[in-house]
Amino acid sequence: MELTALGLLVLGVLLAEPVSRGLAAARWPSRDPVGALLVWQAVGLAGGLALLGAGIVYGLAPLGPTLPSAVRALLADPFDLRLLGVTHALALIAAVLLAGWLVGVLAAVTFRTLRARRRHRDLLDLLATPWPAAPGARVLDHPVPVAYCLPGMRSRLVLSAGVLDALDPPAVRAVLAHERAHLRERHDLVVLPFVAWGTTAPFVQGMVCAQVAVAALIEMRADDVAAARVAPAELTGALRSMGGAAPAAALSSFTAALDRRLHRIVEPPPPLPLGLKVLVRAAAVALVALPTLLLLAP
Amino acid sequence: METLWTADEPLTARDVQDALAGRELATTTVLTVLGRLERKGLVTREREGRAHRYRSVASREDHVAELMRDALDAAPDRGAALARFLGSIPPDERDKLRDLLD
Repeated sequence: MELTALGLLVLGVLLAEPVSRGLAAARWPSRDPVGALLVWQAVGLAGGLALLGAGIVYGLAPLGPTLPSAVRALLADPFDLRLLGVTHALALIAAVLLAGWLVGVLAAVTFRTLRARRRHRDLLDLLATPWPAAPGARVLDHPVPVAYCLPGMRSRLVLSAGVLDALDPPAVRAVLAHERAHLRERHDLVVLPFVAWGTTAPFVQGMVCAQVAVAALIEMRADDVAAARVAPAELTGALRSMGGAAPAAALSSFTAALDRRLHRIVEPPPPLPLGLKVLVRAAAVALVALPTLLLLAP
Repeated sequence: METLWTADEPLTARDVQDALAGRELATTTVLTVLGRLERKGLVTREREGRAHRYRSVASREDHVAELMRDALDAAPDRGAALARFLGSIPPDERDKLRDLLD
């Protein structure tokens, strides 16, 4: 059992630091954003499982040779917990606290997000007027150009009047195609755990890397979908006009990210060959399977 | 809501009904809608004699400004609430953007 715990700990630490950093720095994700998103989710899930599992496996080691047998022994006689030494008990407590914290943070951020969205939607329904040129889009009467979508079961697509002033109709269609991709593929659900854990533990570099990388990947994916539906030139035109007018245009990182997005649409990198795409997805499954097997192996 | 926004003083449900006379609304309907708006934190009411007087919590412009702040603000937990066309701002730049917006 101790050896399994050590293996899980090493796996967890590897995933949290060098693997996350490497994946964030890799170039291939821009050639297969969907595959890369799957790998990020697998890294997060496997890393969490491995670190929590390491604590639990080590903590329960005195009760049996494998985790399933130790859990069975514990269920048969809960007073067995007294047999754990100090170090084993501490490891178990740390793992349980960490698990509680992870779940608690995710629940709190989800609750806050849903509440903020409901408030925003209530106000939108009162203040924004439907835009006749595109079904489902609403216009907010404000001169600063901003386009966004409010995800959820009752989603909303919003353009400010500033967008309609700044863009011609084809460019507006490109913006809407991009936002609809976010809504249809529920990118908000993909991002939520990374935002929740990344913002509450900014000291874990891997989590921050993951948050930034995932945010960039969903934009790539939405750009890909939009570029397939409208002419790419309309999408780049919309990005240029809106990017120049955005309040964040003064930030160097914002303009750098915008340039990277523009460059990617104008000269799309070749998509990964099919074989590699399959390999990426298989790697994601294997990543999650590894700690699961280590935990459940009889 | 429009009626409350344009009115200078708090209105009773009857006042709202009169202002919307063209729509032939029943008093109960108006009260239901006002109650719903109150639950959503958009209007407040105060007792006056046997009736309640309702007024909007903030002006139309204030609410539009609130929506725009939501949409442009880089606060971390709002990052998950909506998806902007121009994407999210990396965490280390959020403070700088907030300074720019203020």
